[in-house]
Amino acid sequence: MKVIMKNLGKKYEGRENFTLRNINLEIDDQDFCVILGPSGCGKTTLLRMIAGLNSITEGDLYFDERRVNTIPPKDRDIAMVFQSYALYPHMTVYDNMAFSLVMRKERKKLIDERVKEAAKLLQIEEYLYAKPADISGGQRQRVALGRAIVRNPSVFLMDEPLSNLDAKLREHMRVELVRLHKSLGTTSIYVTHDQTEAMTMATKIILLDDGKIQQVGKPEEFYNKPENIFVARFIGSPTINIIKGKYKGGKFVSETDTIALTPSKEDAEYLKDFEGKEISIGIRPERFESGGEFGDTFEATIDVIEMLGKEKTLFATLKDGSDLVISTPGHYDYKEGETHTFGFDIKAIHYFDSETGERINR
Amino acid sequence: MATYSVHLKDDIGNKYERKNKYLLQLAQLDEKIKQEADSNKKTELLKERKSLVSNKKKHPHNIRLEEFRKKEGEFLNSLKSNVAEYKKTLSEKTNNQVKNLKTRMYHHEKRIDFYKEYSELTYEADFKYRESKIHVEQIPEIIDFIEGIEAELFQAIEAKDNLDPKDDARMKEDLKSFKKEAKEKRDKEIQKVKERRKEGIISSKAETNAIKEVKREYKNQVKLQEYKIPSKENKDFIRSKKRELANGIRRSEKVLKADVADTRRKIPVEFEKSRPVVAYATILLPGVGQLINGQRRKALFFILATLFSYFIAIPYALGYGNYQGEGVAGLISLAEGGARVDKSLIFMIEGVVAIFLVLIAIGLFYASFRDVLKTERRMIRGIRPTNWFETKRTIFQEGFPYVTSFPAMLVIIFIVLVPVITTFLLSFTNMNPQNQSKFTWVGVDNYKLIALGEGLAGSVFWLIFIWTIIWTLVATTLAILLGFFLALLVNNDRIKGKKFFRTIYILPWAVPAFITIMFFSIMVAPGGVITEILNSIFNSRIEIKNDTVLTRAALILIQGWLGSAYVFLLTTGVLQAIPGDLYEAADIDGASSFEKLRRITVPLVLFQIAPLLVTQYTFNFNNFSVIFLFNSGGPFDPQRYGNLAGSSDLLISYVYKLAFVNQYQAIAAAITIFISLGVMFFAFLGFRRSKGFKEGRL
Amino acid sequence: MALFSKKNKKEKGLYLSDKPPLTVAGIIGLVMSYTILFAWVLAIVWPLFQMVVSAFNGRQQQYIMGNENFEFSLRHFEFLYNETYYLTWVRNTLFIAISTALLTLVMVSFTGYAYSRYRFKGRKASLMAIMLIQTIPTFAGITAFFTMHSIVSSVIPAFSRQMMLILIYAGPAIASNTFILKGYIDSVSTELDDAAKIDGCSNFDIYRLIIMPIARPMLTIIALWSFIGPFMDYLLAKVLLTSPSTYTLAVGLFTLISDFRTMNQPAFAAGGLLTAIPIVIMFVVLQKQLVSGLTSGSVKG
Repeated sequence: MKVIMKNLGKKYEGRENFTLRNINLEIDDQDFCVILGPSGCGKTTLLRMIAGLNSITEGDLYFDERRVNTIPPKDRDIAMVFQSYALYPHMTVYDNMAFSLVMRKERKKLIDERVKEAAKLLQIEEYLYAKPADISGGQRQRVALGRAIVRNPSVFLMDEPLSNLDAKLREHMRVELVRLHKSLGTTSIYVTHDQTEAMTMATKIILLDDGKIQQVGKPEEFYNKPENIFVARFIGSPTINIIKGKYKGGKFVSETDTIALTPSKEDAEYLKDFEGKEISIGIRPERFESGGEFGDTFEATIDVIEMLGKEKTLFATLKDGSDLVISTPGHYDYKEGETHTFGFDIKAIHYFDSETGERINR
Repeated sequence: MATYSVHLKDDIGNKYERKNKYLLQLAQLDEKIKQEADSNKKTELLKERKSLVSNKKKHPHNIRLEEFRKKEGEFLNSLKSNVAEYKKTLSEKTNNQVKNLKTRMYHHEKRIDFYKEYSELTYEADFKYRESKIHVEQIPEIIDFIEGIEAELFQAIEAKDNLDPKDDARMKEDLKSFKKEAKEKRDKEIQKVKERRKEGIISSKAETNAIKEVKREYKNQVKLQEYKIPSKENKDFIRSKKRELANGIRRSEKVLKADVADTRRKIPVEFEKSRPVVAYATILLPGVGQLINGQRRKALFFILATLFSYFIAIPYALGYGNYQGEGVAGLISLAEGGARVDKSLIFMIEGVVAIFLVLIAIGLFYASFRDVLKTERRMIRGIRPTNWFETKRTIFQEGFPYVTSFPAMLVIIFIVLVPVITTFLLSFTNMNPQNQSKFTWVGVDNYKLIALGEGLAGSVFWLIFIWTIIWTLVATTLAILLGFFLALLVNNDRIKGKKFFRTIYILPWAVPAFITIMFFSIMVAPGGVITEILNSIFNSRIEIKNDTVLTRAALILIQGWLGSAYVFLLTTGVLQAIPGDLYEAADIDGASSFEKLRRITVPLVLFQIAPLLVTQYTFNFNNFSVIFLFNSGGPFDPQRYGNLAGSSDLLISYVYKLAFVNQYQAIAAAITIFISLGVMFFAFLGFRRSKGFKEGRL
Repeated sequence: MALFSKKNKKEKGLYLSDKPPLTVAGIIGLVMSYTILFAWVLAIVWPLFQMVVSAFNGRQQQYIMGNENFEFSLRHFEFLYNETYYLTWVRNTLFIAISTALLTLVMVSFTGYAYSRYRFKGRKASLMAIMLIQTIPTFAGITAFFTMHSIVSSVIPAFSRQMMLILIYAGPAIASNTFILKGYIDSVSTELDDAAKIDGCSNFDIYRLIIMPIARPMLTIIALWSFIGPFMDYLLAKVLLTSPSTYTLAVGLFTLISDFRTMNQPAFAAGGLLTAIPIVIMFVVLQKQLVSGLTSGSVKG
């Protein structure tokens, strides 16, 4: 089922400003859509509006062709998995999963079939008659998933379901969730603040900040063509390097003149209009080189080295004291305290307008 | 002079253009006037405005509005008959619900045709046009849905008639044998589980859980098998389809109404109103304002408030329908000069009740006023008033707490507040043995009496007060020390038989206090068991209950006996929760047992149970039972205590005697107020320190 | 086998206890502790024992003497059953206690839920007001209770003194228990409400099917405390109930030892015993729950 948001806005009573405004989005059928963003950006509010738990102040929400603004949550054909799983503690696992169907007064046979089916799929048949307090966190999460599956929803909503799990289990569940999504063939909308989850699971990412959409698209686009500085900083680990400066005479010069850079021909086309203006460049830590096409280099002293095995992360400082993060293959030989010369892969430079933060080169 | 704004706003703040050209002109003029500095030009503009208003009827827009209203009247009249005609054309066989829906559809289609023309002219027409459009869009779906389910139902009902009773009987037989098999299986499973428990493989909790699971599974299986019986299956199917039908219709209608409500929020209203006159005009008549604003069903509720106020609250306050009293006036007169049967106390109580009723009535007036005012103000801005669907939605969402707490609030007000206020007022009267039926106000005389220790009743006040304080401190502290000490002893690692001691030690708390107190009273009476034993040990003839000092000592001991159990229980609970690491760390630091006690145990325990200990003090301050039941507050000591009190009386038992035995109710009331304020003060202090209050998480 | 190993261990002189060995002072302390503990056991058991024995001692007359002459008999119990209103008192007390518990439970379940789950106008103010009202001692209004009842019963004759008593017990109970229940329900995550809404529950369904079952332990405690309260009260019952057939146990039993005309102390002992047994059993079995109800209410505020 497609989920279409037209100009959605949310304003809480008693608050001055809108929490969310001008949200225009189209989520295709069977998309795995991740709503990503830092705390307080409005992503949970958006999810709850799609679910029907929060009212929609302005704009329209469509499921396929149907306008669902005023339809209560139980009739929207959705299911939701909460961060804390929200299992009813006084009911058995079986009753938890069957609850929504019981409320709809479905036939016993149907309820039993669906519950047993979901239990089998998630491998929780053994605990069907246990209570949530008696099973582990990971099992509880699967019960929460089971409860959602049983409803055969057209849209699957998930609010940071993995954040209560330990690291190893989280890794495992990431794959499980995607597998589940594919086998059920529903549209999934997943909220998180963890960019790794977003990058690995999503077919489409929506990055929100402060109630506004920063970028929408496939994970690669976020990494390779971030729309603004915020997006560039949010996605990618280690964080991208952003250097402020001016564009003068066809060259980028950083504020303290420590870095000078000549853009590629294609990028220079876009930068034409920015002559004399303040711009920022973004470089991913792994895109530094020794020597550039025009020989633009800089010197940096290595402060701290994080040895990760297959790569090394160098935390370096430039002559003017500003920081830089550089990733190199693990077998290269660097030591703390050394000063080296580095260059740029000029095809991998992102240019941003310093004032608006918007991307310049396409 | 009230002004108009150029734009209309909705409750989110979106702006809309005015459609009423006349009002628009006025608004634009008003804006110019506001910004005009030059006084001459201003007067010009004001004149222009005035002439515009006086020529209201001739304004082209208003003329068209008039036409529209006339045409609308005609249209609505003819619509009624048209719709009735249409209904007759529908086939007899159609389902009633579908018939109604089709008729509504027709109704709205006609409306669309009419109002479409005028939607530019006024927002009212625009709204009605859109409202009908929503209906026209959604009703066909509902009709399809109904027809679909009806078809399924029809099939199922036919199938029912074609059911072969022999199949049924056969399946029932199958069910029986299935049940037997399943039962055997179940019992076998349960046996297995029990074996595992015996062998110690699983814990007893796991055993109970597992047995529960097996039983559930069995029940489930049987239920499912039941539904295989054809007649049952069919019945089940029909039932669920009927429910689906009802639910579906209800749901769709709700969505329809909700969408219309949404439109109400989006299409503004335009009125010639510029001041919320109605609110102020109808302030004394809740319900009328809502009626004028077009909110009819909400008006009904507020009209109830009007009825209550004018037919119950106010007449009662004026004296009508009182049991004996004269309403509020009764508070002042206190039945003075009234009939012999008239009692001042009744007058007073009814006066207090009357005041509460009036307060409630005022509250209702105010609530209604606020509601009408809010609606009117929003209407002036352009926000459409809410309809009954929206109001109902709000009530169900937000009204739940009001509705459910209301009875509880009533009980609290009438059971707690009215009596307390009565007592308070009583303390300013002179109700005593001579003035039982009728009494009058005497101001603070009673308080003076007590404070200065004068008069029959006041002279002993301070004596009793001092004894009350001593009693509270000594008895409670004794109980606390005892309970605490015993809890520590029993909790010692090396003591065995903890359960035995703990069970015995809570007996004083478990046995209802009045029984043990009364029994102690018997045992220390002359000839009683304890008296005899003491006499034989000390070779004397003591009569405990006739000696002030001995009585007091006995009371303190008894209360210590009673209260220590409670403190013991609390302390034990807390002691068991103290983590052992603390003591081990102290051992490493070289602390002696005494130091461990002083620096770890005592502070931790005290911190946890301090609020409860405070209540122990306030409890003993007013511990009527032990004093009264033991020796009626005696022994009697007329020299020091007069005839009204005994030498072991607390303030509270003294109050009881004054009020109920000697009929000095007014002084008793004064003392009661004095005690209550003290107790409330300390309780409040205790509250302030409690965790929840501090964190402000109310 | 066990005996053998013990003997062996003793022979080997192994010290097996987890704790450090006792010094002489330690042993003396231990002996003293046990002495004190047993002394207190005696202090508690002896009076109670006296009462039990007196109740069964046929030789006891109107005034209870020592129990040296003991003759087992049930005549005091018979007296209680036949000559006094004992059974009526039991019935009255049960009626009042159960009604109080039910009334309190129903009302508190609504108010506790409302204050916890809803943010409405006047919430904070009324909550503070309830807190303050809690602290008003009940007896502050006794002078008025009696008269108030007369007024109401003139309008509604069916309103008996006992019903008035029930309201008087329930009023403060509702006020204070609202807090406790509210605190408890606060600790239930609101995500459960959200999940229930998505599963198709209305507000009332959430109250009925989700929140109340979860709050059952706390509701049980509240019901217990409001059931026990009326059993233990003497003053209010004495003030309000004037005819012996309407007395509660506390008031009724007291007449057996206070009023010269109705004096029969052994019968009182019998009645006291009968009344005490079920309550003691209840307290002993449920002590953990009762205490936790107290501490959670006070610590959480």
